[in-house]
Amino acid sequence: MTVSALTRPGERDRLIVKFGEIDWIFCLALTLIAVAGTVMQFSIAGSSWTPWAAPHLIRYVAFFGIMVVLSLINLRVWFAIAYPLYAVGCVLLVLVDVVGHHALGAQRWLQVGPITIQPSEIMKIGLVLSLARFYHGMPGNRAQLSWWLLIPGALIMIPVALVMKQPDLGTALLIMMTGGAIMVLAGLSWRLILIGAVGAVAVVPPAIMFGLHDYQRKRILTFLDPEGDPSGSGYHILQSKIALGSGGLLGKGYGLGSQSQLNFLPEKQTDFIFATLAEEFGFVGCISVLALYAVVIFMALRTAYLSHSHFGRLAAAGVTVTFALYVLINGSMVMGLAPVVGVPMPLLSYGGTVMLTVMVGFGLVNAVRVHRYSEITSGKGTLL
Amino acid sequence: MAEPAIFFEEVNERQGVFHRRAFLLGGFAGAGLLALGGRLAHLQLIETQRYEKLSASNQFNFKLAPPPRGLIVDRNGVVLASNRPNFRLMVARDKNVDVPDTLKVLSSFVPLDDKRQSRLVKEIAAAPKRSPVEVAEDMSWEQFSAINLRTPEMPGVSAEMGEVRVYPQGGAFAHVVGYVAKVNKDDITEDGPNSEPIMLNPGFRIGKQGVEKAFDLQLRGKPGARKVEVDANGREVRADPDGDIPATPGAEIKLTLDADIQMRAVEVFGDESGAAVVMDCRSGDILCMYSGPSFDANRFVRGLTGAEYRQLALYERKPLFNKALTATYPPGSTFKTMVAMAALEAGYDPKTVHVCSKSWAWGGRVWHCDEAHGAQDLHTAIATSCDIYFYQCALFVGPDRIANMARRFGLGQTFDIGIPGQKKGLVPDTAYKKRAFKNDPVWHPGETPSMGIGQGYTHQNPLQLCVMVSRLANGEKSLHPRLVESIGGVEQPRGSGFGDLPVNPDHIHFVREAMKAVTTIGTAAAVADLGLGDIKMAGKTGTAQGFNYNGGHGVHGTNGEWRMRDHAWFVAYAPHDAPRYAMSVLVEHGGFGAGAAAPRAREIMRVALLKDPEIRARIEKPLPMPKIAEDAQLGGGVPDAPTALPGAPADTAPTTPQPSAADDASGAPP
Repeated sequence: MTVSALTRPGERDRLIVKFGEIDWIFCLALTLIAVAGTVMQFSIAGSSWTPWAAPHLIRYVAFFGIMVVLSLINLRVWFAIAYPLYAVGCVLLVLVDVVGHHALGAQRWLQVGPITIQPSEIMKIGLVLSLARFYHGMPGNRAQLSWWLLIPGALIMIPVALVMKQPDLGTALLIMMTGGAIMVLAGLSWRLILIGAVGAVAVVPPAIMFGLHDYQRKRILTFLDPEGDPSGSGYHILQSKIALGSGGLLGKGYGLGSQSQLNFLPEKQTDFIFATLAEEFGFVGCISVLALYAVVIFMALRTAYLSHSHFGRLAAAGVTVTFALYVLINGSMVMGLAPVVGVPMPLLSYGGTVMLTVMVGFGLVNAVRVHRYSEITSGKGTLL
Repeated sequence: MAEPAIFFEEVNERQGVFHRRAFLLGGFAGAGLLALGGRLAHLQLIETQRYEKLSASNQFNFKLAPPPRGLIVDRNGVVLASNRPNFRLMVARDKNVDVPDTLKVLSSFVPLDDKRQSRLVKEIAAAPKRSPVEVAEDMSWEQFSAINLRTPEMPGVSAEMGEVRVYPQGGAFAHVVGYVAKVNKDDITEDGPNSEPIMLNPGFRIGKQGVEKAFDLQLRGKPGARKVEVDANGREVRADPDGDIPATPGAEIKLTLDADIQMRAVEVFGDESGAAVVMDCRSGDILCMYSGPSFDANRFVRGLTGAEYRQLALYERKPLFNKALTATYPPGSTFKTMVAMAALEAGYDPKTVHVCSKSWAWGGRVWHCDEAHGAQDLHTAIATSCDIYFYQCALFVGPDRIANMARRFGLGQTFDIGIPGQKKGLVPDTAYKKRAFKNDPVWHPGETPSMGIGQGYTHQNPLQLCVMVSRLANGEKSLHPRLVESIGGVEQPRGSGFGDLPVNPDHIHFVREAMKAVTTIGTAAAVADLGLGDIKMAGKTGTAQGFNYNGGHGVHGTNGEWRMRDHAWFVAYAPHDAPRYAMSVLVEHGGFGAGAAAPRAREIMRVALLKDPEIRARIEKPLPMPKIAEDAQLGGGVPDAPTALPGAPADTAPTTPQPSAADDASGAPP
């Protein structure tokens, strides 16, 4: 490594230097996705900025600002707030169960004045930070010992259970899979990984039959046999596949997607926005957007790779896993490869909550990148 | 398992694990994204055509448009059934549609009382989702446009302009033409033309009776379709007129009927119950087929209420019944023509004389006649319709030979005139007795006299008797009746192409002379006078005891309870010297054939004759003029002046309408 100003002690703490250390190419990829989302929101509203396109863009700009600010926050601060954030998340999840806002048969929101809080989103960040912090203070060999697994296991299962109760199967699975991925990254032994994988597979069928709500079970059974009832439950999947397939190589043209414009697509502005994109811009448009997602995922993973602190590594990787899961689950759902679980396509779908979560997460990722050489003492974290 | 356990002593070792596993994770993510890309390629590049089709069928709907139903016209093009525009109001069940509320709103535009509203709510709930149910029809233009303007704010409501069947002649042709009505569940079949989706269209009607039913498929045409773009809820977004498929109108059906003759039959029947059939006895075309009393077919198109239907069905004169085809009656004395034909063929001497003294004892009982006719031969017995003569004549011939002759004249059989519901009637013989009476399979001699006067087992419908008299009048051909002249311009087979009549022309001549005597000196002497100069009608009266026949007198004439009276028959043809038109008239419980049937037959026949230009020319031929007059006219330099040569052929004579004849044409019945 050549000698540079950055090797000088204290030099990396200067704000302007931190600013320059933010991964701007990564940010460009995010912005391109968000712009693609805005373009699609504009189209499905019948070439109108309202009701979706304008809020989508404004939110993105605002959340981009938040991300940049979060990028500059010292990793030690992130480290310090990990457990408190997790605790707040848990309390809010319990609260939402008691006084939460009902929507579509599920309690997911807390209304505090003008702000709607979705505690499961806080939990997504909180869990990643907490697990990273937990493993940061732990020698590598302990990561595989079974009794020590009880703590991260509990860290994961408490929010999963609370979210499941709402019920929000998609988010619960997302949290569980993110947590599991962090445990694997932290060095869980292959034997336990295998046992866990086999156990998960074994648990799925009885869980589907007995552990789920009727509508959840129906969605999954429909997924297994979508043609069984094309005008009923299989409708969403079939219509989405029609939108995708009829797009062809180059698409039907901007604003000309009959599936989405004529409301054949369900939830076209949120969960099925990718189908609209596919219909209007075809294979070329889809692959371009998927490539942008790939860029985001691999650059975030590279940030994790470059971090010198274990906390940074695991936190950045955790966020990346969450993001990648969003993309893969939504993509599979839209393409008829997975049941309809209500997971949006991040940055493309309309909706402030998930966008905020993702942008806060990428703030964390950028913070890891900016502070990749920072030392974080194991044990208690210190503020600033 | 495959990898040996790694123990971390150093922080760097856990970093190594992280790096390796992050690499693996990146691989998973990459594989996942590649899988998505592969799936996209599969859907968008390989299967795209299939999904394009599905997308198009999502986006566009074809709304069926009922085709204009084919017209039914008479032989001269007078419209018997056509279509008129109809503004209908429809309501369909859908989400976001509060049906009771919608109906309440609509009741301010069209009359919909509470009772009808609640019935409609049930009807709409029972109909499939988004398939509209008719709420009101025959709206005025103002109502139609008022609702049409507001349909965007009223989901589920649509105002449509369709066509509805109309029968401009009212009830005059109701039994022949029939009517159309709404499609019942029973009308829809698994396959075939009655399985087509147009059957479910609320504006669609199918033929339920008569020609409308028999030729329903030809009249129906092919439904067209309107191409419309629809959203996911099936609501119309916009129409795409370029993609419309035009409807193919149904074929026009031309009947052999003549509206003028038919209308005259309607007039002369009035409230009487019965039937009149007129045939052209050269071609077999049915010129008139009326069954009275009739009903207004237009009411069936709209749908009858239960009370309306009950009134029609329970009326003792049975207006819903086509008495020309579906009811059989004893032919009475009209059958004596057949007995005479059979007798002549069997070698019976027409000069044979029997003396009628009003009653005749034979076979252990006394047989009656209307009056004491005195000494009769076959000719006078037909003219006076002497029963006692024919009892004995029939006994000479025997039932089998009479039946054989009657069948040659078309009795006891149905004819393919296109419309269903004909009764075969019965021409009894010994074989029939053997077949039908298991306990008494023998023809008793005592049954023959009854058959000789057209009573007993003998039953015929008015069409059959008309065919009988047509064949007598034609004399050469086994005429068949024809009702449908052409379908969509395609001529239907004529009724004269069914071979020759296998009887001796001399016998026919004898019977025709006797029938001429009926109207000149016989039973119908006064009542059958056409008043058309030398155009005379020949015929045979019949007075059939339909009720409780016991070989003697029942309730005769027009006395007594209506349903106890005799049926009155008259069969006739004219002109008697060169027959063109043959007819049968039945007046149910009309009393005497000469009193009730013959005058009606005369009036109907007169219209038929006066419409025929050749007959008209014969009637109106100018007085023979001296030769001088002709020269004078020619000298007057009028080239197209009437050439009134004495003895000139009637058809070349010019028509100078004579007031007396014209008045006769529209003369009222007595």
